[in-house]
Amino acid sequence: MMQSTLLRRIAPTLTRRALSSNAAEASSVMTLNFNLPHETIYNGATVSQVIVPGAAGEYGVTADHVPVVAQLKAGVLQIMHESAGEPEKYFVPGGFSITHDNSVTDISCPEAVKVDDIDPAAVSSNFEAARNAYTAAEAGSAAQAEAMVDMEVYRSMGSAVGINLS
Amino acid sequence: MALRVAPAAKRIAARGLSNFMQSRGMATEKQIFNQIQSTKNIQKITSSMKMVSAAKLKGDEQRLATAIPFNSWTTALCGEPTLVEDATFEELPQKTLIVPVTTDKGLCGGVNSFITRGVKDCVSKLNAQGKECDIVVIGDKGRGQLRRFHGDIIKRSCTEVISPGTFSLAAALTTELMAAGAKDYDAIMVIYNSYVNAAVYKQRYKLIKPFSGEGEDEPMMMHEFEPDTKSEVLGDLYEYMLTSQVYHSFMDGAAAEQSSRMAAMENASKNAGEMIDKLTLQYNRARQARITTELIEIISGASALED
Repeated sequence: MMQSTLLRRIAPTLTRRALSSNAAEASSVMTLNFNLPHETIYNGATVSQVIVPGAAGEYGVTADHVPVVAQLKAGVLQIMHESAGEPEKYFVPGGFSITHDNSVTDISCPEAVKVDDIDPAAVSSNFEAARNAYTAAEAGSAAQAEAMVDMEVYRSMGSAVGINLS
Repeated sequence: MALRVAPAAKRIAARGLSNFMQSRGMATEKQIFNQIQSTKNIQKITSSMKMVSAAKLKGDEQRLATAIPFNSWTTALCGEPTLVEDATFEELPQKTLIVPVTTDKGLCGGVNSFITRGVKDCVSKLNAQGKECDIVVIGDKGRGQLRRFHGDIIKRSCTEVISPGTFSLAAALTTELMAAGAKDYDAIMVIYNSYVNAAVYKQRYKLIKPFSGEGEDEPMMMHEFEPDTKSEVLGDLYEYMLTSQVYHSFMDGAAAEQSSRMAAMENASKNAGEMIDKLTLQYNRARQARITTELIEIISGASALED
């Protein structure tokens, strides 16, 4: 299913590029708007690629990408700038990413932290606390669902900094 | 001779004094003095409130400046906010949920009155067009003002909203709206004050419609959806969009509230200052009249002794 989705996405892009031979060189950069409620991280910045943690899997967005509306899951958002080099990594707990057909991508998340700023010790201890809350909560209650969400977010935060929590 | 003149002078002075008292309607010098003192205290309070508002306005302006790019993606889906002034509300659908954003605290100038006036105008125009609407009020002042005439259509009210607002607050408000049956309405109209600059704010409204439509009308046809369950993603996107819009309106309203409070307190301090000047003149006149009376008493007493 993932393969067919991948092919479905790449095919139009490849076709479009193949067709636009005489037309002006397809822009190789995309515009990124990445905003949090309390901080504007990128507003109209030109970058070369963004890897988005979609709910169905990670996918990369480059210039002339097919328009997509993606719900994000807790994971790492990677931004590759035009000046090649290490991609910038942000951990996001969720949000939405909308790619338009003019190579503009809007990513809106309630919160995001740079992966470098994450403290592994805090992640482990918070994960433990969430797991305790999960086992202590009544089965099927809202508290248990919240604890489960917490556990998932911390688990993926842990894998982002290289620790394996389960 | 002096004896005959002195009492006459005293009587004239006394009559003049009592005329003076009656025409002023003010009693003694002591009372005027007390009034001057209390007005000075009020002036101190209002001018300090103004300075506090000016400081808070800086913070609110910055929060608004971040909220605008955060919310910019919703404009493509919902359209630009419209000015309430001279609005006909004809583009509103059959059933609308009106969400006015007002303040909890007072002494903020006209921010709440403008919003409630806009809401009343909208309700009457909608009723004239044969459309229905309900209200979910945010803010105590709005609730108080709207309860009198439109109490029957107020579905919920959210008060004691802690400011400054955060995204979590907007999310909580959206949950309340969803619980009030937001999905049953054809559109949600958020009406709020939009901060233009420190002296000017305007009322605007945003229409947020749920994604719906089949076949040709299908929303966002060009886009792929990830995960594939389009209706689920659209549902979540609608809630997220609503939260983002409410957050932006909140930030805008907060900045407008602070600027309005600053202006109102500035006017109050100025008016208090003018009143103090006027009262001081009255006080001086009363004091001088008293001194004159005492002098006359002394002189007439002395002249009585002479004889």
